[in-house]
Amino acid sequence: MFTKRLFLPLLAVALLTGACNRDEENVAPDEDNERITTVTLRLTNKANAGETVTAVLDGLAADGSQPGTLAASLILKPNAAYSMRIELADKSKTPAADITAYIKDEANEHLLVYRPSAGLNMTVTPNDRDTNPAPGPFPVGLTADVTTGAASSGKLNVVLRHQPGTKNGTATPGTSDLDVNFDVSIRQ
Amino acid sequence: MMNQYLISNRANAYLRPLISLLSLAWFLLPLGVQAQLTPACTGSLSGQILTSAPASAGLPGATIYIRELQRGTLTDTEGRFRLDNLCPGQYTVEYRFLGFTSVTESVRVPVDSVRQITLSNDARNLPGVDVTEHRSEAKQILQTQSELAGIALDQSRGLTLGESLKAIAGLYSIQSGPAISKPVIHGLYSNRILVLNNGIRQEDQQWGSEHAPQVDQFVASRLTVIKGAASIRYGSDAIGGVILVEPKAMPSAPGIHGEANLVGATNGRMGAVSGFLEGAFDRKLTGLSWRAQGTLKRAGNARAPGYFLENTGFQERNFSADLHYDRKHWGAEVYYSQFNNQIGMFRGAQVGSLSDLYAAIARPEPLVQPGFTYTIDRPFQDVQHQLLKGRAYYRSESFGELTLTVASQQNTREEYDRLSFSRVTTPELYLKLNTQTADLIWEHPVKRTPSGGVWSGSVGVNALTQGNVRRYLFLIPNFRANGLGGFIIERYAYNRWIFEGGLRYDVRTLRAFFLNETDDQVFSRSHRWDNANGSFGVSYELRPNLTLTTNLSTAWRAPNASDLYANGLHQSSVAYERGNPNLKAEQAYNGNLALAYTGERLSFDIGIFNNLINNYIYLKPDSVPTIRQRGAFPAYSYDQVRALFRGIDATISYKLSQPLTFTSKTSLLWAYNQTARDYLVLVPPQRSENSIRYEFTDQGRVSGLYVQASLLAVARQHRVPTVSSEMREGTLIFRGDFAPPPPGYVLLGAEAGLTLRLGNQPVQVILTGANLANTVYRDYLNRFRYFADEPGRNLSLKLKVAI
Repeated sequence: MFTKRLFLPLLAVALLTGACNRDEENVAPDEDNERITTVTLRLTNKANAGETVTAVLDGLAADGSQPGTLAASLILKPNAAYSMRIELADKSKTPAADITAYIKDEANEHLLVYRPSAGLNMTVTPNDRDTNPAPGPFPVGLTADVTTGAASSGKLNVVLRHQPGTKNGTATPGTSDLDVNFDVSIRQ
Repeated sequence: MMNQYLISNRANAYLRPLISLLSLAWFLLPLGVQAQLTPACTGSLSGQILTSAPASAGLPGATIYIRELQRGTLTDTEGRFRLDNLCPGQYTVEYRFLGFTSVTESVRVPVDSVRQITLSNDARNLPGVDVTEHRSEAKQILQTQSELAGIALDQSRGLTLGESLKAIAGLYSIQSGPAISKPVIHGLYSNRILVLNNGIRQEDQQWGSEHAPQVDQFVASRLTVIKGAASIRYGSDAIGGVILVEPKAMPSAPGIHGEANLVGATNGRMGAVSGFLEGAFDRKLTGLSWRAQGTLKRAGNARAPGYFLENTGFQERNFSADLHYDRKHWGAEVYYSQFNNQIGMFRGAQVGSLSDLYAAIARPEPLVQPGFTYTIDRPFQDVQHQLLKGRAYYRSESFGELTLTVASQQNTREEYDRLSFSRVTTPELYLKLNTQTADLIWEHPVKRTPSGGVWSGSVGVNALTQGNVRRYLFLIPNFRANGLGGFIIERYAYNRWIFEGGLRYDVRTLRAFFLNETDDQVFSRSHRWDNANGSFGVSYELRPNLTLTTNLSTAWRAPNASDLYANGLHQSSVAYERGNPNLKAEQAYNGNLALAYTGERLSFDIGIFNNLINNYIYLKPDSVPTIRQRGAFPAYSYDQVRALFRGIDATISYKLSQPLTFTSKTSLLWAYNQTARDYLVLVPPQRSENSIRYEFTDQGRVSGLYVQASLLAVARQHRVPTVSSEMREGTLIFRGDFAPPPPGYVLLGAEAGLTLRLGNQPVQVILTGANLANTVYRDYLNRFRYFADEPGRNLSLKLKVAI
């Protein structure tokens, strides 16, 4: 008798638990809300609009287990002036997400920083501006002027900084959303 | 019962008077009796129990039990007994022995402190030993235990579970900002500590270094900590210890009662409201009782001396309901609780890459110092924990007690990272853990041998199955884990000795599921571990108020899914963690020795421990950083070493004069990685808290008035792995740690409390000041110590009203 009364509530509990469903056997794919899989640099020689150079870093790893295709390289002419455009995309989404557009929309809190390695005779000067109030506006870096010097080679480091509320024109505040290197060769 | 007395002796000597105090208060409050916070609990109750036939012979092994305090003892071979540290007041004392008519009388301490009771033989009516009010058998185990209850617990109302437990020597916490506090026992944490929430093994993704126990601190009327390996009774994993969160006993007197707690604190402008209503029935529904409880808590940005900590607010919304039906021989219970919290993660600690990390560490203060706000923004955690429990028991004098407990828990954890450019509303990490447990435990009837010894013990089976489902970013895989274990514990008490032995066998399996993203096929990896463990303990009462207890035990822990298969960026710890599928189970060899003394003026509880852990799993820094799109990250992989943790916990209390008591709590710990011949990370530094308390005599409407001042001194942890740095693939990499441990610190605290009688209503008021000198300091165990100072001065006011 007592067992019957005793185990009624337990039975209810057992039923409610719905033990041993097998949800875990359906594995969801790895999904990153904010990923940049592809970085494209497009340079146009200011002296010759028909001369364009493009470098693409594709398949940047999401899980860190496979480094992105870092083979992309820029081959530039010495002592030349180029105008440069950067395109960022997340191809893991369908359709691919255009991150350049996001950055443009929120230009007041993003900054692209370009750092040629030592010995690489190259300067990159962003030529676009955000709408931050004084002491702004500050550069954004989606477009830039590139000038090259004597023949040399090295790396161009491209960093996307997120600086919400703290943007001051320098790379210091904020956090990095992208930090990649392009091989650059300046030769005739 | 003898065990119970000994355990009380072993319990934190300082807390004990406080515990007794509040136990008394709990009982007396509904009666409107003004006796809540009586000072100077130095009373005692002693005497002799005699039998009627043969006339006036001492009765050995009889039980003396104070109902209000849930405390008791057994008589010695001559029938004598003694209970110390009783607060002045009225108590109901039961005297009983199997086969004799029990006697219950009302005793006033200190007036009636020496008793002589004669029990008469009664063969016709064997009194059933009513075990409901007694300490559970589980808590009788001979392990170093400490309790936080009564006013000591009230003093910590409003704090998280991890923070309140720091009032016990040997306990620390690993923090991630002000709202996340993971308990640490003797240097061990996460999965090595079991939290038993209302008797159920809490499963809430406790592997994560920023995952705090999802338990409402207000539910507890008593927090008991078992320090050291306690696997035998509580299951595998308990290498470091067990934390028992016990709700108040259910009411038995008919009528509706309740309690309301209000807490307000200046730092973070924290406010908490918690209360419960409970009731019991009589007549046809005798035995039926219920309780409904709820807590709301909210805090905004905490303030370090000089600046607010960005995005450190948190919210908590909890409720629980309990329904009991208790008859003489059987009973059943259904309990449901829900815990919801949302915790802002300090944004100054959110860095995008290693170079950001170095820049953030190099700054003396966070770059962004916003004002105060309650708003919680990304990054934050949103966690819900639900527990449904059913328990049924049957007991009788001849059968003992059989208890079946089944429970289902669901833990849903969503972690939202900061967003840079997208406007998604989904979390970065989503984990849903469903756990079902079932425990069947039989406590055999207490057997008395003709020589006066007492056998007690239990056997039991614990079963567990859990499934984990993840979404969004990968950190740990989906898995199914199963566990089955059986144990037996026997205890023999004779004279001043108690011997205890336990054996346990466990089987655990884990099957982790992965998705091969190239062909979209699910594949799995399986593991199985078997393990046998044992424990042996001895307790010897050197004098009635001096007890020596020692315990040797082994314990084990199977690697969890995170140890084996973690693979991902732990954004908040700026670490890329990689699991190691080849890990073996951890095996601990634990020894404890504790000496507890309760004297007229001096009380102490000193414990030493030695915990050797083979295959101790920890995160080892890798030599090559992981390159992600956001930059370079230090990589860690799980590794195993032989680790040794040893230390001393000492709680000493000395009554300088009647109202003035000095209390010192010191926790010393040394940990070493014997394999690498180096120190271990995140080992709590030496600490000592010393306080002086003055208790006033009751006057008019004010009772239990006390003032207290305390100094907490925490040393610098200099036993840390060697910190070195080197250039690797063009990136500066630190080994061991990112920054040296912060210097030691001293914090000043003060507190005052009283119970005020407004009409017939006693109101307990406690005013606490923490870090009164607004000291600027950083704590080695706070994972945000690289970026910001600890919170500054905090004044909090706690009100408790019985309804």
